Amino acid sequence: MSSSVISVISRFLEEYNSSTSTKLKVVDAYLLYILLTGALQFLYCLLVGTFPFNSFLSGFISCVGSFILAVCLRIQINPQNKAEFLSTSPERAFADFLFAHTVLHLVAINFVG
Amino acid sequence: MALLRLVSLLVFVLALEAQALTPSHYLVASDVDRLQAVLSQPFTDLKSAYFSVVGLSKLGVSVADSNDACSFIKANVDSSSIEALFYAAEASQAISSCEIHVSNETRDSLHAAVSEDSTVSQIHQAVSALSSLGLPLASQEVVSALKARISKEDNVVAITLALQTASRLSQQAELGEILEEIEDLAARLDDLGGVYLQFEEGLEATALFVSAAYALSDHVDMEPPLKEDQVIQLVNSIFSKKSWDSLSEAFSVASAAAALSNNRFHKPVVVSAVGPATVSHSHPLLQLHVTDVLCQPLSSANVLVESATSVASKAAILSQTPFTLRDGIFELNFMASKPASGYYQFSVAVTGDSRLVANHVELKVKVSTKVAINNMDLSVVDKDQSIGTKTTRVEYPNKGKASFIADSHQNFAMTFQLVDETTGVELTPHQTFVRLHNQKTGQEVVFVAEPDSKNLYKFELDTAERKTEFDSISGTYALYLMVGDATLENPVLWNVADVVLKFPDEEAPSTVQSKNLYVPKPEIQHLFREPEKRPPTVLSNTFTALVLSPFLLLLILWFKLGANISNFSFSPSSVLFHVGHAAMLGLMYVYWTHLNMFQTLKYLAIIGSLTFLAGNRMLAQKAVKRHEGK
Repeated sequence: MSSSVISVISRFLEEYNSSTSTKLKVVDAYLLYILLTGALQFLYCLLVGTFPFNSFLSGFISCVGSFILAVCLRIQINPQNKAEFLSTSPERAFADFLFAHTVLHLVAINFVG
Repeated sequence: MALLRLVSLLVFVLALEAQALTPSHYLVASDVDRLQAVLSQPFTDLKSAYFSVVGLSKLGVSVADSNDACSFIKANVDSSSIEALFYAAEASQAISSCEIHVSNETRDSLHAAVSEDSTVSQIHQAVSALSSLGLPLASQEVVSALKARISKEDNVVAITLALQTASRLSQQAELGEILEEIEDLAARLDDLGGVYLQFEEGLEATALFVSAAYALSDHVDMEPPLKEDQVIQLVNSIFSKKSWDSLSEAFSVASAAAALSNNRFHKPVVVSAVGPATVSHSHPLLQLHVTDVLCQPLSSANVLVESATSVASKAAILSQTPFTLRDGIFELNFMASKPASGYYQFSVAVTGDSRLVANHVELKVKVSTKVAINNMDLSVVDKDQSIGTKTTRVEYPNKGKASFIADSHQNFAMTFQLVDETTGVELTPHQTFVRLHNQKTGQEVVFVAEPDSKNLYKFELDTAERKTEFDSISGTYALYLMVGDATLENPVLWNVADVVLKFPDEEAPSTVQSKNLYVPKPEIQHLFREPEKRPPTVLSNTFTALVLSPFLLLLILWFKLGANISNFSFSPSSVLFHVGHAAMLGLMYVYWTHLNMFQTLKYLAIIGSLTFLAGNRMLAQKAVKRHEGK
């Protein structure tokens, strides 16, 4: 059982490495970074308690929001999805990404206290 | 059948009348004197002279020194000002033998003021001045000018002035439309709780409206469209204020009072008792003030008690009994009907003038009496009733000579009767208490004495049963009887006797607790909210480093993937975009440390718009390059 899981995972990684363009891999690396940051914040909160709860929430929501926006960006700039995003060019997607981030950061900084 | 219908109609009419409003706010004699004093202040200018002189004449009083007033008016009149002429003319007319002469030019300027181009106030002043000076005026012109101005100046004060102006015009003029304004204005009055009716513009506007409405109604001899309840509500509003802020306010109240006490249609009646409405054997007369709103007695009126019923027994004592007038006060000897003590509901009617409003009044009258205590019998009864009772009679106000001893096997009993001193009728006052006071410890215990079915009061003290109230403290207690009631003139506190009570299981007497109730209590120290416990700094620092570490991982991954900035074109828009973006991120940091949301939004708007424009240009260029590259 475990061997099949390992083989599935290794095959997945192979396919990923070969078929994904570099641009998307860059975004994926960014996604991994955001994920780790959010997970570490959550771990801290579990360990120490929610003392400055607003700060925890602000940081965590910022990570979650960034993750979601990056996923949206990735979907929109993926050439395989071009059929669904005919009117949205990659540049437009990136501009939306930046604007949404500005709003997200504004709210997060407001809340972090 | 016809009789039944008649009776039901009568009951219906009586029920309606019973609900009619009566004035709850009115001027009493001291208020009228105060109003007069306010209006009698020395004049400062022509306007205050007008208010004083005309206001006092409305109260029926002439100004202190009329010659002085007349020369003051003549000295201060300015013939070029319509307002000054108005004040002077009205004031001089109120003073007897004071005449102001005006030149032809002045008269012409007054006539010229009556036009559609002047305000209603100016028209009012010009017309009043012409009328008071005895000069002729063209009423129809005034009417048309007023009508034109009313449609332009649709506020309460202007329309009131128009009504006042119309009352000075000839009766042949067509005043019908202006008369209708009374009804329109009355509809604008605010009803406050069913008690007050006033304009939101205030007391002065309401009072001036009342005096103008009645002036015009009297002039054209048509009843104003005000219902009786509305008139009373207006009385309540105007006379609720008993000290006036300004001379003009006092003047308006005086005008309204004069209008309401002396017009052809409505005359509100104020019925109030002289002092408290109480009668007793020493004061058998019920005295009423029956006056108009200016506190002048209605000497020509007939005041009648329609019915006087006892509140407790609902029995009618009087019916259709007249009051007699003596020195401006209406009196009735109620004690002559030998009423029992208690409260009586009087229904009083004032007749004699068809203009009277609110002339049915409900009054609550108290009949008080003196109480006498009869047959006060004290006894000590053995519980098993084997030994005969020893009854001692004590006469009020003496104290029983011997003290009574009661221990746990005996009961102490007291019986007495409370009667009306004059008639001998048995009474049941509200408060009949028996108080036992321990002289040594200061402790007191109070019990209630209750009457039985024959109105004989009984009090029994079971020593064993009641020991908790006494804290089982044996000793000599002074026994007091307390009798009180609203209808009693002589409440009683009578030290009847001394009682020695012996309780079983005597505990050490403790001082009375009540003394400690009013001693300062221990101070409460305020505990400020303690700050929350924080984790150790080491832990926080570790986690800060940990949380920042994925950024290094990101850089490493990007480097491994080969992401680079070799395609960076140094065009001004891209440089500006990156600088602007960096500035926005820096602004976020500054927001966290220094700014508030408003300032941040302001800076963000500036930097953001620059960044947006630059970024737009840069991305467009990239898109073009991408299309070319394809």
